Amino acid sequence: MGLVSVQTLKEIVGAENAKDDKADLYVYGSDSSVHQAMPWVVVRPHTIEEVQNIMRYANPRLIPVIARGAGSGMSGQAVPIKGGIIMDLKKMNKILEINLEDTFVRVEPGVVDDDLNRALKPHNVFYPPAPASSRIATIGGEIANNASGVRSVKYGAVRDSVLGMKVVMANGDLIHLGAKTRVEATGYQIDRLMVGSEGTLGIIVEATLKFVPIPKYRCLGIAKFNKLGDAGNAISEIMSSGIILSMLELMDNIAIKAVNQALDLGLPDVEAILMFEADGMAKEGVDVEVKRMMEICKKHKGFGLELSYDAKERTRIFSGRKKLFPSLSRYKEGYVCTSLADDMAVPYSKMAEMAKMIHEIAKRNNVIMTAYGHCGSGCMHTKILMDPTKEAQWEDAKRAVFEIYNFVRSVGGTTSAEHGIGISKAPAFKREKHESLELMRALKKALDPNNILNPGKLMDAPDDWVTATKLRYTVKLEGK
Amino acid sequence: MKVKYIKDWENELNICIRCAYCFEGCPVFKELGWEIDGARGKLIVVYGLLTGELEPSEYIAEKLFQCTFCRDCVERCSADISVPDIMGAIRADLFDAGYSYDSHKELTKKIENSGNIFGNELKVPVFEGDKAVLLGCRLVERKEDSEKYLTILEKLGVKTKTFNESCCGMPFAVLGDKKGFKTQQDKFIETLPDKNEEFICACTTCVFFIRAKYPDLKAKYIIDEIVERLPDYKGKLKKLNIKVTYHDPCNVARGMDMVDEPRMLLKEIGAELIEMPTNGKQAECCGGGGGLLVSDDKLAEKLAEKRVEQAIKTGAEILTTLCPTCEFNLKNAVEKLGGKIEVKNLLDLLYESMM
Repeated sequence: MGLVSVQTLKEIVGAENAKDDKADLYVYGSDSSVHQAMPWVVVRPHTIEEVQNIMRYANPRLIPVIARGAGSGMSGQAVPIKGGIIMDLKKMNKILEINLEDTFVRVEPGVVDDDLNRALKPHNVFYPPAPASSRIATIGGEIANNASGVRSVKYGAVRDSVLGMKVVMANGDLIHLGAKTRVEATGYQIDRLMVGSEGTLGIIVEATLKFVPIPKYRCLGIAKFNKLGDAGNAISEIMSSGIILSMLELMDNIAIKAVNQALDLGLPDVEAILMFEADGMAKEGVDVEVKRMMEICKKHKGFGLELSYDAKERTRIFSGRKKLFPSLSRYKEGYVCTSLADDMAVPYSKMAEMAKMIHEIAKRNNVIMTAYGHCGSGCMHTKILMDPTKEAQWEDAKRAVFEIYNFVRSVGGTTSAEHGIGISKAPAFKREKHESLELMRALKKALDPNNILNPGKLMDAPDDWVTATKLRYTVKLEGK
Repeated sequence: MKVKYIKDWENELNICIRCAYCFEGCPVFKELGWEIDGARGKLIVVYGLLTGELEPSEYIAEKLFQCTFCRDCVERCSADISVPDIMGAIRADLFDAGYSYDSHKELTKKIENSGNIFGNELKVPVFEGDKAVLLGCRLVERKEDSEKYLTILEKLGVKTKTFNESCCGMPFAVLGDKKGFKTQQDKFIETLPDKNEEFICACTTCVFFIRAKYPDLKAKYIIDEIVERLPDYKGKLKKLNIKVTYHDPCNVARGMDMVDEPRMLLKEIGAELIEMPTNGKQAECCGGGGGLLVSDDKLAEKLAEKRVEQAIKTGAEILTTLCPTCEFNLKNAVEKLGGKIEVKNLLDLLYESMM
């Protein structure tokens, strides 16, 4: 336990908004990653001023402060590796302004993505990044992570929707970044620097986001492939042919088998399924795009092609993909679904090769891995299915992760497309960004000289992710 | 803490990917807002107790008893984890470790002494047909209403038979008293006229619980029986011309996957249904389940008030539901909020339509 005065923090946020019971600390020491560490106290500010006062208290005392939204990060971004204060921002959840004339919305960081979209829907507009966790993910967390989702191929990642923000710095100063306009050319784009900074540079306390019209028409298609390579070629051609698409999703045979095992959806026993979608305001335009994608799939030996504009039918077609995550959790008795090397991005032309490589790496390292993802944005998801109670499996997983990222770098890909770096992916991130690590450290030092903002993450995270923190599982030492 | 029952759930606790999707609809999390209040937080605490990283405390017990077993988390779970089963197991370990409230003991004592949750000698209305009907404690206590519900079945052609029933034991199970549950289970089975014969169950909580904990018994939900028989009676129903909103009980919508049938019944009796923003499988819990009424009645009351406020906003004159416990909890909340809406069991409305 560090030298933190819970009493002082209670005076800042109110007694009912600070906790230091061991059970609460244990809960806040975990997220959706494999990591676990104990914070010293959890506080729940409701105002910018409270956030400033917390920082003014923590900074001179060198107490780490870890901002936390839903705690749904998969790489340990919110795990307090050095202890300290968890700043739970979920109660700062007001939508401050919906400006239809100038097409932006101002929100507090704890606003949940889906809640924002529910508020925008009556105006026929939406905030588009849509990560899979949008039902609980907070805007602050999405920005800190630079999240994205299935439709990012058309609408971009969170960084493409952020116009500006208010940030509380390590010393408690409040700064305004960005603008309310669509374009800005006023020197350093520090708001962009904050996007994806994982709470290491400042606490985002307000965001100005742009929104876009809800498309009137949306058409989803599906194609099956006997060869993964054929699906890969289809992806490459779709993405290089100038088609304006809103989604392109791949499921490999492990993913298909997992869904069939769990849900009996009767997906065909093929090597790959592609799901593609176009949307827009004019049906004719959407028709053109989906038909072109269908033709390309056919050309690459795609079969079982279906198209639908109907919302219910689209839900049916997409249900297999939607149910993939729970299905993977039940793939094999005693195995769990871990997010380790889980969201790399590779050039479109390398997607099929990446998927094949994932299977090879899994085989030689005694784990099960699946390949699926948002091919439209070059994002390949994998999950490592393993027995987390066996020590040797962690060594297997470590080797598999290492080999995956070696391949990713060899083809010009990048470590993370949307889940962020945190702790789990830091070793690969450091190898990928080795030339800029010192620059990152210099930036961090300039903005947070006492290194209190989410320390021990990104470039400062340990080199061995397995031993970086206690693992959330109980690992038995008797071997495989 | 010596753990016994939770050991069986270690694999499930590992399978939980801690995605936090369970935050979305958890009534307790929405009300209290700390992560320990949501299902993920509770499961993490349970894991800590299992591994010994956490020791039990009054605070932990308070948090683990603040769950309504509403299954909203199960509905939204990324990994299909049965949170109520895990809560049941850890509560049993907590019970064995001495973490049981006086209010819990008071309730279970009443059942032990009288066979029902009220601790009084209750008279079951006498119907002497051939089809056994289990009313459940809450309905037995409302003798007049019980007679109405039995009359509904009679009018639909069921020759009902009541019996001197004893509690199904659900309170023991959700409060962690395994031994007490076993004893009550035996008493419950003893009172059934024929344990091999199908019986109709009028209480939503009882029927859901019996199906889960008494796999050999054949409990048929009263709504299933009514829906099957109603086509022959349709022309005789009086249109009530009322505006209602319907509260989906957790055990009905999420537990038994029954969303359309109650709405169909409302249509048949000429009730205009105005839905609350959350309904069907996404319906918010009223706070009456999981023993919350005896573990934290203030919280149960707050959750019910929230639900009633949603109902009032619809502009409906009647808030109808099917679960007698929901009905009880919602009625109390309506009274507290100044009686701006009337709470009625859907079976009462159906009875009115038949008369």
